[in-house]
Amino acid sequence: MSVESSGNTEITLEIAGLSHSFLHNGAAEPVLRNISLSIRRGELVCLVGRSGCGKSTLLKIIAGFLSPSRGHCLLEGRPISGPGPDRCVVFQEEALFPWLTVRENIAFGLRGKRWTPAIRNHQVDRFIELVGLRGYDEHLPRALSGGMKQRVALARVLILSPLILLMDEPFGALDAQTRDEMQELLLSLSQERSQTILFVTHDVQEAVTLADRVLLMDQDSGRIREDVRVELERPRDRSAPPFQQYCIQLHQLLRQTGPRPMIAD
Amino acid sequence: MKGKEALLALLLPLTALTLWFAVSAVGLVPVYLLPHPLTVWDAGIRYIFGNAGQGAYAGRFLVDLAASLTRVLLGFSLAAVLGIPLGILSGRLALVNRLFSSAINGLRAVPGICWLPLAMIWFGIGIKTTVFLVAIAAFFPIYQNTLTGARLVAPIYYQAGAMLGVSRVRGIFAILLPMAMPNIITGLRLGMGISWAYLVLGELTGVPNGLGAVIMDARMSGQTEIILVGIILIAMIGRICDRLLVSLMRLCFKSARRQI
Repeated sequence: MSVESSGNTEITLEIAGLSHSFLHNGAAEPVLRNISLSIRRGELVCLVGRSGCGKSTLLKIIAGFLSPSRGHCLLEGRPISGPGPDRCVVFQEEALFPWLTVRENIAFGLRGKRWTPAIRNHQVDRFIELVGLRGYDEHLPRALSGGMKQRVALARVLILSPLILLMDEPFGALDAQTRDEMQELLLSLSQERSQTILFVTHDVQEAVTLADRVLLMDQDSGRIREDVRVELERPRDRSAPPFQQYCIQLHQLLRQTGPRPMIAD
Repeated sequence: MKGKEALLALLLPLTALTLWFAVSAVGLVPVYLLPHPLTVWDAGIRYIFGNAGQGAYAGRFLVDLAASLTRVLLGFSLAAVLGIPLGILSGRLALVNRLFSSAINGLRAVPGICWLPLAMIWFGIGIKTTVFLVAIAAFFPIYQNTLTGARLVAPIYYQAGAMLGVSRVRGIFAILLPMAMPNIITGLRLGMGISWAYLVLGELTGVPNGLGAVIMDARMSGQTEIILVGIILIAMIGRICDRLLVSLMRLCFKSARRQI
């Protein structure tokens, strides 16, 4: 799916000159340095980097859970201030509300929508169906497998039609088989709805499977180092040589972004 | 399966009862120390169902129960009304916690019985002293468990709530309270249990009615069987109150129904 060819080049997310530091023993330790990026409407962008490179921090800033030390973050031209239903997150950890059923979890964010109960029920039914959880409406999260929990987590944010969907290694804790299924589900849902997605992962193969574009983060500098467009037809065949080629290329780039050597002082 | 569980629950009480019968039958212990179970049974029946003329304590049960329940419920409610909000504030706000924690932990170290003389000076002999003692005793477990529950709610749930459009204030009711519910209920149950202990302490001070008053009164008049009746009744009523408390919480809150 090429975004440019449809003539739709509208920017959903624009980040410019963004830096962030954490206080560590009283000293500011930079995590993100001068990050600039933009994501077009309908694009699926994967942010790839090693653990600790700051990719989750960047996601938290976009989600509004953190305020950046410097720089700005615009969503459809408006500055981001605090979390909100226009930028929803699917977390890696379990974050479903344990006392609510699947149906109630999915309906949780709809309070602000002012829908009639009929429309609300219809929508919830539709999304339960979409993520393949029919028959599990009245189950509590503790009765679900890891993959099913992430389906609920996906449904409860997709139902809000966020401007951008933020995913923080959402399938990282799933087994390989389930992860494949979830990737397929995400692709079909996102293409159907032209959902804009920023997907954080450390798994190169996952990035090449999903992404229109892969952004590679550098651990050393806290910068985005490479911006690789994945020009492969969907559905992508993981055994095909071009797919492998992308993986090898990204692996090599990732290896060059290794941790800075320890300096004894 | 259900029957097996019930049998298991009754195993210890039944063994104790059998032992008691045996000890009384052999005459191992003089009756003024430990009366025969049937004597206690008769005294209990008279205390609960008898008419006023049939003996010293006959038919007093309902009046005593009403008096004791009122004191327990008032003291317990007072403890819950103070303990839950304070616990939540201390669990979520470091400033509040710093303000209260050392004072509250200090007070908690004071044995409950120390409050009795002070309470008697402040409130005299009567319902206020008992309610005060019950409230003080029940406050600490309710406060401490609520605090722990509030503190244990992982930040990710607030983040999830915030992105789903929950404001900070509504988050207290939509996220914090339901998440902390299992701990709050633990606190309330511990508080309820200790309420009965301090009820008896409060009623030992010469109030005319109440289950504790009966126990103390029976000691003066040397009726050991009435003391035992009182103890057994308090154990049973305490157990019933605990079940009722859990049922009430489950009835009122989805988060209680589904998490405990």
